[in-house]
Amino acid sequence: MKRPGPLLTLLAGLVLGLFLLTLNATTGTRTASSSYEESSPSPAPVASTASPAPTHTPSPSRVPAVDADYAGRTDDDAASVAVSVDDGKAIAYYCDGRTEESWLKGDVEDDGTLRLTGKDGAKLDGTLEDGERVEGSVTVGGGRHAFSADRATKPSGLWRATATVRSAKIDGGWIVLKDGTQVGIVTRDGKPSPAPRIDPETGAVTVDGQQLTARPATP
Amino acid sequence: MTVDPNAATQGFPGPEPARHDPGAARYLVPALVAAAVAVVLGVYGKVHDPAGTAFNLAGFSSTGAVKSWLATAAMFFALVQLVSAAMLYGRLPGPAWSGTLHRWSGRAAFLVAVPVAVHCLYALGWQTYETRVMWHSLLGCFFFGAFSAKMLLLRSERLPGWLLPIVGGLVLAVLTVIWLTSALWFFRTFGVTT
Repeated sequence: MKRPGPLLTLLAGLVLGLFLLTLNATTGTRTASSSYEESSPSPAPVASTASPAPTHTPSPSRVPAVDADYAGRTDDDAASVAVSVDDGKAIAYYCDGRTEESWLKGDVEDDGTLRLTGKDGAKLDGTLEDGERVEGSVTVGGGRHAFSADRATKPSGLWRATATVRSAKIDGGWIVLKDGTQVGIVTRDGKPSPAPRIDPETGAVTVDGQQLTARPATP
Repeated sequence: MTVDPNAATQGFPGPEPARHDPGAARYLVPALVAAAVAVVLGVYGKVHDPAGTAFNLAGFSSTGAVKSWLATAAMFFALVQLVSAAMLYGRLPGPAWSGTLHRWSGRAAFLVAVPVAVHCLYALGWQTYETRVMWHSLLGCFFFGAFSAKMLLLRSERLPGWLLPIVGGLVLAVLTVIWLTSALWFFRTFGVTT
């Protein structure tokens, strides 16, 4: 004779876990799709690309929601590039994790073209490819780097923290990639140096003994 | 529940499974199930794109706080497990209902831990960017495998006397490390908040 109790316990846990998972998945897509509707009021290009296939059921994840974070590496693998797009505006961050970084900003054209500029002649030219990635090139410090940045969901993406620690002005930027790798630079009164790691779940980071919280950077 | 002794074999009309070595399956099945559970959880966490967020409970400031308190509740029940197990094995004086206490505190600990694990796997996934996080990911998956093995072993009879305490102790030790690398870390980093 076998005791059913332990099996029932395991089954109850399994059922509870699956229930919570479906709850997460369903509420997640509902809030996500409604926010996409709010933030991208021009679904016309979507319909034109998706309409020729009547058997294809469009799923929410395939909607090219332009407003998003994109993060990736330069083709020469020397640095990371992240772009954050919101409501026709974009900021981008180029960071090699050691000494070279640049914040860039600008507008997003209707056709998805990005032309961003930053300090000291830095510029980024790119295009949004179906809302799935940004491809282009970035010119920082005289060097031109081609890059490709894939759509990033939190905790990956672009993070920034600014603060004043012992009267030094701190400005930190981090790019967290999908696989969890991250690069960051902290500038103290304009002097760049490698940044300590942030906790990608919370943005918590300790700079010079001071606990800071990095926030997702938005335009 | 009463069991009709004549009905026991009716559900299994086929040939009896090999009877000459019933011992192997008793250990092999729980071990294989445990490995499968741990690997499936780990693979899901690795393959699934972390959503970054999930639903929150009212009254808590963040999902991190919710999880930390749920995990702390699980840890509390796990300590009840340790005490009630010592009572069952006669190492501590205990009431007649210490067996019931052991069963139900274990169920409570497990069921409280499940939402935490679901959030971990759904929102954060398998991560290795820090030593703390790596061990937490690894042992989090291991825990549910080990717990499954413990549950399945309970269904076997005539186990060696040392086996259940060892497996139970392993489950408790792993849960403790999981709690230390998550909830305690959270409380130390962000303060004991709700």
